[in-house]
Amino acid sequence: MIARVGQIWANATPQVRRPFYIGLAVAAVLAVLVGLGVANTETFLALPSTFEGVAASQAIWGLKPSNLLMVLPLGAFLVVLARSFIGLKAFGLFTPMLIALAFLQIGPVLGPVVLCSSVLAGMIVTPTLLKLRMTRVGFLGVLISLIVLVLVGLQQALDTQLQVDAFPVIVCALCVERWWKQWGKDGAKPAAKMALNTFVLALMIEFVMVSDFAMALIEWSPLLMPATTGIAIAILGRYRGLRLSEIGRFAPIWLERRRRAKALAAEALVLPEGVEEDRRKGLPDTRRVPEPVPEPLPEPFPEPLIPPLRLPRRAAYRKPQLAPLHQSHGMVLAAMAGRQRALRGIWVIGSAEELKRRGSPLPAAAPDSEPRARPRLAASGGRAVADWADERAPTRNAWVIRGVEDI
Amino acid sequence: MFRFVNRWLGLDEDALTGGEVLGINMRNALIQKYNPRHAIERARDKVAAKRALEAAGISCTGTVAVLEDHQQVADFKPSRDMPDAWAIKPARGSQGDGILLAVRREGNTWYKGSGAPLPEDMVMHHIQKVVDGGFSGDSAAEDAALIEPLIIADPALSRIVPEGLPDLRVISLHHTPLMAMVRLPTIESDGKANLHQRAIGAGIDMETGKITRAVVKGTPITHHPDTGVNLIGFEIPGWKRVLELASKCGPAVGLGYCGADIVLDVNDGPLVIEVNAHPGIEIQNICQAGLKSRIAATGEDFR
Repeated sequence: MIARVGQIWANATPQVRRPFYIGLAVAAVLAVLVGLGVANTETFLALPSTFEGVAASQAIWGLKPSNLLMVLPLGAFLVVLARSFIGLKAFGLFTPMLIALAFLQIGPVLGPVVLCSSVLAGMIVTPTLLKLRMTRVGFLGVLISLIVLVLVGLQQALDTQLQVDAFPVIVCALCVERWWKQWGKDGAKPAAKMALNTFVLALMIEFVMVSDFAMALIEWSPLLMPATTGIAIAILGRYRGLRLSEIGRFAPIWLERRRRAKALAAEALVLPEGVEEDRRKGLPDTRRVPEPVPEPLPEPFPEPLIPPLRLPRRAAYRKPQLAPLHQSHGMVLAAMAGRQRALRGIWVIGSAEELKRRGSPLPAAAPDSEPRARPRLAASGGRAVADWADERAPTRNAWVIRGVEDI
Repeated sequence: MFRFVNRWLGLDEDALTGGEVLGINMRNALIQKYNPRHAIERARDKVAAKRALEAAGISCTGTVAVLEDHQQVADFKPSRDMPDAWAIKPARGSQGDGILLAVRREGNTWYKGSGAPLPEDMVMHHIQKVVDGGFSGDSAAEDAALIEPLIIADPALSRIVPEGLPDLRVISLHHTPLMAMVRLPTIESDGKANLHQRAIGAGIDMETGKITRAVVKGTPITHHPDTGVNLIGFEIPGWKRVLELASKCGPAVGLGYCGADIVLDVNDGPLVIEVNAHPGIEIQNICQAGLKSRIAATGEDFR
């Protein structure tokens, strides 16, 4: 197993190796920071009323509410990492960061519980809301009142000191909306995966935000955190290599090419007919050749659904019956006028006079981009259409003549 | 130091060591570099893109009418102005939303491909909804309805698919077509040429125009599952013309890196239906080849 991984690694191109190294490094750093953040958590399950009026973030992690703003750039930095290095797809650009902030305000376990329950309630009610055919504003408005309803209910049930303010409500409503859009676009499974990604990313950001590293930076100087993360994002945000998820996505390209090369190599080893062993290198191969097991015949390929083309049997030749035309027939008149060319192609004849006059077959329609029916409106700004209208001679009535009967 | 960082960020790569697969990060960088904002806006609006393409002498699908506001909609009368078979498209729709097709007409009633009747007032209602911006996302308040005659696919192509219109996607950088595939509808994809809905994607050899590889949702196949026709080696008719059109599309709209959607009409041959400013990179998996090495071969330095 390990040897196999080593072999794959030896065959990997720099294009694959580099994102892999970077991804590993990012994952390691994140794991350390999340571990620090978890270790920094004083209590997981305490209800806010036990904190004696102190904000949840300060009681649990020692993060002053006024410093909540300070950790935002760190969240943005993590979102950038997750998107352009790992390729995690989440709802919105910075929604995970906002969710993480909401978690910090409510608590490490209570936060996810409160948020998930209200988002879930929103998801359940949304199909009914959509049937009412509201505008987007109306829809979001109803959603916000519903989420507030759920949150207030939770506040009554769990703890009256639970800090749910305007911020988590908006985040919840946005989440529900994004979820429904994604569902409509890609179907349930990708949408659920995306929701899960968002949730995991938010949890990770939450714990990185309260790790010792972040706290130390904030305490050192309030300017340090935004400046560091700003510079880091400016450097790493230019990453143009493959994302970690794309290695898996495009692996078939590399793998199948190798498989094909291997198959070609194996084919080259097949000995020509009449030669029993390969003596080109080393000692003759004296291994016993196992009796060839007769392979079951391959299943016949299913008949194609299209019936094979059956040519009609040629009918016996019959002499055409020629009936003389009447003297006053249009064709006869025209022929007598002696100016009529033989009927060929498509003719446009507006009146009896035109039939007598020598007309010319319509020029073959060039593959053009002109409309095939004349637009009757001053559409698309008017000018182009007006030009068309001028160029085209008005055709009165077009008769397509294919045979004598048509005349 | 800068060189080192840049190399690890994938900013400083040459054609030999830079790898061959184009990732989404690099694609976004290319779009940012070569596709100006106004050109992307133009490509997104089907009517504006069509005007730009026609001005450059590129053969596009025909136009019956463009309805841009309610005044024009009020003057429009389907029974008088519409041909027997047509397609109504929102100018700024995405992913085929709001496209209505009629294949035949009896009196003042048209019929969809599925056989469902479309009376005149239903057609008018659809046009009304398109112009109201009902299919254009939530950003656009109003949209234009583009009415085109229905395209009938080249019989060579239409006999390998059970229903629907196959279309070609050619990705090009400036004047150079880089990679191409044809999307073949299946019964499972409901006649839509959308790879997500299990249509077949088939990679085309750029020089010969022959299909080299066909894929449904990541599994390679050799024959069309519904018609049983062998796809490998099938030659796209009029391939030279397709390449010619594709190489002109991007510059005509103002895009450097773009994907042209081309259909093969039974009468007029290859016609451009749409130009995409953000073409996807899944085509690499279908053609089993990397776009980045081909871009590098055009002399691009990826800076």
